[in-house]
Amino acid sequence: MFNYRVFAVIKRELMEKLFSKAFIAMTLLVPGFMFVILGIQALLMTSESKNLKIELISENQTLTNSLQNEMQSNGLVKEGKYLFYFSTLNREEFKKYLEQKKEQLQDEKILGGIIYVPSSAMKDKKIEYYAKSAKNISLFRDLDGPINKALIDTYFGKANLTKEELDFARMGVDFTGFKVLMDENIKEEGYGNMVLAYLFTFLLYMSMIMIGQMTMQSVIEEKSSRIVEVILSSVSPIELMAGKILGASITGVFQMAIWLSPVILIISTSWFVLPKELIFDINGTVIVYMLINFFIGLITFIGLFAMIGSIFDNPQDASTGTLPIIMLIMIPFFIAISMMENPNRPIAEIASLFPFASLIVMPAKLTLVGAPLWQLGLAIVINILTFLAIFPVAGKIYRVGILRTGKKPKWSEVVKWLKYKY
Amino acid sequence: MYSLEVKNLTKTFDKLVAVDNASFEVPDGSIFGLIGRNGAGKTTTIRMMMGIYLPDNGEVVLKGVKVGQEFKNRVGYLPEERGLYKKMKVLETLLYFAEVKGKSGREVQKKADEYLKKFDLYDRRLSKIEDLSKGNQQKVQFIATILHAPDFIILDEPFSGLDPVNTNLLKDIILEMKQRGKVIIFSTHLMDFAEKMCDHIAMIDHGKIILKGSLKEIKSKYAQRNVSLSYEGDISFLKGNGIVEKIENYGNTTGIRVKDANQTQQLLKMLVENNIVVKKFDANDISLQEIFIELAGKNEDSTNFVMLNKKEAKNV
Repeated sequence: MFNYRVFAVIKRELMEKLFSKAFIAMTLLVPGFMFVILGIQALLMTSESKNLKIELISENQTLTNSLQNEMQSNGLVKEGKYLFYFSTLNREEFKKYLEQKKEQLQDEKILGGIIYVPSSAMKDKKIEYYAKSAKNISLFRDLDGPINKALIDTYFGKANLTKEELDFARMGVDFTGFKVLMDENIKEEGYGNMVLAYLFTFLLYMSMIMIGQMTMQSVIEEKSSRIVEVILSSVSPIELMAGKILGASITGVFQMAIWLSPVILIISTSWFVLPKELIFDINGTVIVYMLINFFIGLITFIGLFAMIGSIFDNPQDASTGTLPIIMLIMIPFFIAISMMENPNRPIAEIASLFPFASLIVMPAKLTLVGAPLWQLGLAIVINILTFLAIFPVAGKIYRVGILRTGKKPKWSEVVKWLKYKY
Repeated sequence: MYSLEVKNLTKTFDKLVAVDNASFEVPDGSIFGLIGRNGAGKTTTIRMMMGIYLPDNGEVVLKGVKVGQEFKNRVGYLPEERGLYKKMKVLETLLYFAEVKGKSGREVQKKADEYLKKFDLYDRRLSKIEDLSKGNQQKVQFIATILHAPDFIILDEPFSGLDPVNTNLLKDIILEMKQRGKVIIFSTHLMDFAEKMCDHIAMIDHGKIILKGSLKEIKSKYAQRNVSLSYEGDISFLKGNGIVEKIENYGNTTGIRVKDANQTQQLLKMLVENNIVVKKFDANDISLQEIFIELAGKNEDSTNFVMLNKKEAKNV
């Protein structure tokens, strides 16, 4: 089946797609976006208000001292994110004081906010925050711990406790995840692979929809511009379809490789330094496996998209026809996303081997929990079998469909096409 | 010697028999016309000849061998419904069409340049197809059909949608190809046109071949007792006359059939005696349209078809 005609078609498809403005834009924009999003996040982290002036007022001197002690050793204060002023005022005094400070509170640069720790906090741990914008979640998160510790110090300071006992009471619980695999040493795991799994899932989903739609459009164009009959006088419908599918699949894999290039660079070079909890714990074979699996899955999906394109002669009608295929992409996408919460769901296990679904689910699974070699092989075999089962049907519908024009066919008619001798 | 033989082709879509046991032969070096009204089965027949449709039955034979991909490469095919990739450049398009026919390299490129120059498109060779006028796009289509130097040229309704300039251009191409010894096969519903160009024809109606052979022979066989007449005046007196079997008005000419072959002189005399200004009196002449109507036109729509056909033919 592979002859110079198929290669001519593949070449034309590649030229058309690789040099189209839409393709170039999308291909370059996605890694661009990835970097921009990372950059924005980093920017947000660094540009978070520096030296935010906070007055920390408590109702009694002991509490003030203990807060002062705690805050001085706090990392965020050392980094200069917050600047604290301490004082002791009772409730009445505080009310008056607040009146005076009203004007200063209007400008964050002069005074960010006032925290009032009443004596009652020793019983109910309820403290107050006064500011122009009073729901400052990041501040609450930052100061929740230190203030709690100061309260604990003060509370147990009265009791006769050793320093060790106090330290223990002050401590929060700290989870550390350890990845356990048969063939490797147990090691600490960061969030890096979770991020990767998300990334893979999104990119696979996007690429499949995009390349699939592109191929469908191109089939519809050939059909509606009536070029197809000219081509068919030289090339058989199956050769044309094979050429189109392979051309589009190569385009897709090429695009995916470009999209993954930042990841490849990160894991194979030391040019980028990621924080410890974001280290990507995968190796190059995962990427290679993913690209191979993607290529095989892509030819199946693109075959289906081409089939739908051949049935309809305008994009509006075709978009209703693509719904079942989009579902085949969407459902695995959501399964992969749900895997992030708990990678050991049975549905993820099944989906990682299921035809169509394995395409998206397997790379996510591989990244999150790993998969035995036989599963990786089986997923590929299943995908190849799926393709072999679908191609004759899609091919038959394609060869009848591309020469049909006029009325939008009913699905029952499409089924009849399968019986035609073409 | 026949170059191409179509044997018992049959094609059915659902319950509709599009082509019904059609057989005809295309002689070497001829211009062959497949004639019939719209929906008669011409396109389906041609598509089966090109291997675009698989026939339910029958085969197409080239010099004793059943046709396949080898034959496809030797054919330049111009379908009725034709288009080009809008985003591709002119030269790219031509080279692509030659490439899928198995011709690539410098020679084809040189030839493409030659044709582009001949058709005044050389300076547009790097333009995108979508930037060309419709007429120029049709020219590109013609070049794509003949660039790979085919031995057979198969054209399905070649003149539909062409402007007068391109109609003449295509006629010239066809005649030039004939001179070079190529076989030209085309389908048309324009009888006048087929009559002017073809040496051999096959007439198809409701999927069946109803007439085939050399145009000359066919005409002489059907022409006896027929007169084609151009005149001024009123010939209604002929109706019901003893020697006249049938009068048919085709617009420019009127076809009259007498009851006996030696009554034509009597008919002329009658016309002159009745003060009819005879502009053309052609005994033993019959147009393809008349033959068609006689064979296929026993119902309403074929008469309508011929009248319609007449209007369209004026453009050719």
